Amino acid sequence: MESNFSVNYEKGVAKIKLSGRLDATNAGNLQEELKKVTDKKIERLVFFAKDLEYISSAGLRVIIFAKQKIGVDSKVYLISPQEAVLNVIKMSGLDNFMIIEDTYKD
Amino acid sequence: MGKVILPAVKNSLYPAIDFIKNSAKELGFDNKKIYELELASEEVIVNIINYAYPKGAGEMEITCVPLQDDKGIKVEVVDWGISFNPLDKPSPDINAPIEERKIGGLGIYLLRKTMDDVSYHREDGKNILTFVKKL
Repeated sequence: MESNFSVNYEKGVAKIKLSGRLDATNAGNLQEELKKVTDKKIERLVFFAKDLEYISSAGLRVIIFAKQKIGVDSKVYLISPQEAVLNVIKMSGLDNFMIIEDTYKD
Repeated sequence: MGKVILPAVKNSLYPAIDFIKNSAKELGFDNKKIYELELASEEVIVNIINYAYPKGAGEMEITCVPLQDDKGIKVEVVDWGISFNPLDKPSPDINAPIEERKIGGLGIYLLRKTMDDVSYHREDGKNILTFVKKL
């Protein structure tokens, strides 16, 4: 499956747009893309999830990995997740370290 | 519903998941529970694709049967690969500080959490993993 995401980095803020599925077939690609920015100084890692329909443990692992890489002082945002995705995030305890909001304010 | 045999390769992931999802749809599962079945299926199938046959090619057999009175579904996934019990792992501490969280084990945790019953046994050189979801 083609990769359904884009990663942008500007002034300490990495924005990742997710869509479709984030599963075992493409989580590795996202991880590779994220590695390019997690080496930089990141204050905020922002996942835009409005169009993300499905996330599995493979996708969750990439988010955990990214958070561990950028460090304790950096914030991770999850913007407008669909209910099904949010359920999995909460079930896995990832909401403990993510700021979940309807819209992102720069 | 019924049985399907697929090669244990990456391209079989979606056909395997679709087979299980379609069986669940036939029984009238709602979208939330179908999502959970999809999560469980991905976990089990990916494990087989990645680890069951380190020395080469192999197959997996998936059987979907309705529970009594069609009140749910039982999915049985069989492979003939190396002996491997995916349930034989401690669950991750999902409340641990993120810095200390282990990367592994999350998928099996979700499998156990979303299904009503999950079991594994080894029999005649087969790994047999079964999960049950009620309507």
